[in-house]
Amino acid sequence: MTAIDAPELERKRTDWLFRIGVFIVAVVTILAVIGPFIGPYDPTLTTPRVAVPPPTLFELPGAVTGWLSGSATHAPHFMGTDVNGYDVFSRVIAAPRTDLMIALLANGLSLFLGVLLGLVAGYYRNFATELLMRVSDVMQSFPVFISAMVLVALAGRSTTNIIIALAFVYTPIYIRLTRSEVMSQTSRGFVEASRAMGASELSIALRHVLPNSLTPALIQSSVTIGFAILLTAGLSFVGAGVRPPTPEWGLMISTGANQIILGEWWPSVFPGIAISLTVFGFAILGNALEGRYGDG
Amino acid sequence: MATAENVLTVRNLAVGYPVDGRMVMPVNGTSFAVRRGEILGLVGDAGSGKSTLALALLGLARPPGRILHGEVEFGGRNLLSLPDAEIRAIRGRDIGIIVQNPRAALNPMLRVGRQIANVYTAHNAATSVEARKQAIDLLALVGINDPERRVESFAHELSGGMAQRALIAMALSSRPELLIADEPTSGLDVTIQAQFLDQMWRTVQTTGSAVLLVTQELGVIANYCDRVLVLHEGQVVEDAPVKAFFAAPQHAYSQDVLRLYRERGSAFPVQVAENAKDLVSVRNLSKKFPIRHSSKFVHAVDGVTLHIRRGEAIGLVGESGSGKTTVGRSLLRLVEPTSGAIAFDGIDVTSLNLAELRQWRARAQIVFQDPFDSLNPRWTVQEILEEPLKLRGGIDAAECRRRAVAALVQVDLNENLLPRKPRGLGAGTLQRINVARALISNPEFIVLDEPTSVLAPRARNGLIALLVRLQKELGISFLFISHDLTTVRFLCQRVAVMYLGQIVEEGTVEDVFTTPRHPYTQALLSAHLFPDPSRRRVDQKIPATLEGEIPSPIDLPKGCYLAGRCPHAVEACRTTPQVLSGVASGGSVRCHRVMAGEI
Repeated sequence: MTAIDAPELERKRTDWLFRIGVFIVAVVTILAVIGPFIGPYDPTLTTPRVAVPPPTLFELPGAVTGWLSGSATHAPHFMGTDVNGYDVFSRVIAAPRTDLMIALLANGLSLFLGVLLGLVAGYYRNFATELLMRVSDVMQSFPVFISAMVLVALAGRSTTNIIIALAFVYTPIYIRLTRSEVMSQTSRGFVEASRAMGASELSIALRHVLPNSLTPALIQSSVTIGFAILLTAGLSFVGAGVRPPTPEWGLMISTGANQIILGEWWPSVFPGIAISLTVFGFAILGNALEGRYGDG
Repeated sequence: MATAENVLTVRNLAVGYPVDGRMVMPVNGTSFAVRRGEILGLVGDAGSGKSTLALALLGLARPPGRILHGEVEFGGRNLLSLPDAEIRAIRGRDIGIIVQNPRAALNPMLRVGRQIANVYTAHNAATSVEARKQAIDLLALVGINDPERRVESFAHELSGGMAQRALIAMALSSRPELLIADEPTSGLDVTIQAQFLDQMWRTVQTTGSAVLLVTQELGVIANYCDRVLVLHEGQVVEDAPVKAFFAAPQHAYSQDVLRLYRERGSAFPVQVAENAKDLVSVRNLSKKFPIRHSSKFVHAVDGVTLHIRRGEAIGLVGESGSGKTTVGRSLLRLVEPTSGAIAFDGIDVTSLNLAELRQWRARAQIVFQDPFDSLNPRWTVQEILEEPLKLRGGIDAAECRRRAVAALVQVDLNENLLPRKPRGLGAGTLQRINVARALISNPEFIVLDEPTSVLAPRARNGLIALLVRLQKELGISFLFISHDLTTVRFLCQRVAVMYLGQIVEEGTVEDVFTTPRHPYTQALLSAHLFPDPSRRRVDQKIPATLEGEIPSPIDLPKGCYLAGRCPHAVEACRTTPQVLSGVASGGSVRCHRVMAGEI
């Protein structure tokens, strides 16, 4: 009866979360474009300095001014170098190109397939679509990481195969999300009204049902991209991901892991922080989007 | 106004909600009084602040709203300045409340008797045995049979009507001096609504409580209330005895609301030519829905035969579950009929293939019940209106736009709505857009599926007046599906009454409304609350209404479907299926006792 705007309150509550999410996602996206070019070192070339620790906060200003004035012999290693002599900082900022590209393509592919299959499964409820749902149940019941690992192991280690493997494990989520939304939208009045005007089922599905069923899947995308980055890194960590020397966070953690016991924490910890922040950024962005647009 | 006989006096009350830094005031300086023992009706459009006002009388406001200023004097004290503990003691004990959607107001986890007893013990020192006895007495008072057994029931075991009564019992458990009922009957069928209000009226007469009845239904006001308050934009714009209100409403808003009632003299404005041909002929239409995991069927429509002439409006009335909506949808083959024949201007609609059907649909349109649901929220009004034209094809963009504008003008809307989206438009406007969309393909026949049921009185009147005008100007035939007999009487020339999927009586509106023959029609008409205070239901000896509830449409009775509830039923009714037979005046009735002249 009265004008209490609940979504308005929800929007205010999630505003600062939304901003943090947007900020992190924006930084990662910009790095994916320019990251490989702005670091002080080429991320795929080694330096002669192996396992150099990062400068302490006291050393940092001196190293920077030394570099800028030309008195130092080489640019500072802000995050040290790893056991092979790669500059960790240059690789950490170059890695989003690999990670984000894999995550975006994998998400795009699974979003496309999932929405398409979900639309069909929600619109036509028959034996074939019922079978599709059961198959996707089975796919979802495997642990995501193991499925992806096995797929890459079977198909071979290449970026394309990693993308396909990730898309494969995320598609069922989109099928399910879209299908349930389609099922509720098909009983809406404007769908029946369009039918009463003489519209064909295909045209109703594409013009009315699909656009009104996309929101949950699009919101899920943000979360999925975050987790796809995590999964890409995970695959690299167990040796089923991209090949060295491609700059990639999971690969960096894996390379550095052997040295942690010797006290060389920096080659692993910095990419680890980068992954955590990125996944967190995408997740809270997804959450905030859901709070804003979740109920249509 | 503060005389001794006032139970409650409200002075300059205001409730505000902060929205974007400013205060929106749904209740803005309201003053009125409720007198002892009276039923005071509070009417107003959706958003006029009725519910907010009802809550504010108890010192409550839905967050983040708050009561800004004003006084609510009750028992010589200002409720709004009392400490929390004292006002809580008054709520439920001295002022009872029945909220909207009473079904959901019962706790599904607790036995009904416990819930009533809880309210009672909250305000009275009583042992649990006393409280239980009190609960049984109250259930008996509100007319529930076998109260000893019913106190042990859970909410889901009660029928809708019984749940309502249990709530009155709860609200009355402490004999409150004032009962606030916020749209207690919205969503109920007319027969149940009448049972409920009759019971409330009787109970109030015996306990001497005053009632503030919040409602949008003028019929409820006319039949049960002593006095009327009209709330408009947060203020009381009219405060009049019920008869004076209906006879000579003072405020422009009240006059608008009462337009249909006041124009009753000019009803049946459209005359259908005597020799008009049948446009739609339905013969023996049936629709059965299979039940999952069962070999049984829901018999939604059971052998309906109906003829609609060109330019004629037929009302299809009946309670929920009578199958009237399924008839409308089957006519357009939005649901496939199980059996029966539908002819439309000589075309056999049931045998059309899919392509022909899509082609034909331009000639027969439908307007749905829920205007918010039947327009795509992502589309602009222009896209919505042009959809039927785009589906036909072969019309260029400029012509599409021209016709969209023309359709808007036809339904009294302005063309500046074209770029708007449905969100934020009112229900009345949206329903007009729905009508415009139905009109744009120049149909000959429109099914109107309860188009006014979610509209506030003023928007409802506007839409009905529009439909009458369209029928007059364009000669379109209507199948007007409704449970609101008042609007049917205003719009339609003929009316068919449905019960459990069958038409039980059919005839001209004048015949059926003035001399209903079938016992079900009689019951429906007597339960319907016409907005006419000169024939108040409470002043009459209430005629025998139907007992019990509608039987399940799954296991139908063998004989007459009404036999179990009909006061005139004899043994033959229970065993012999009834047929629809013509009567002398031109209508038809499905009752052998009426045909034999026994009723």
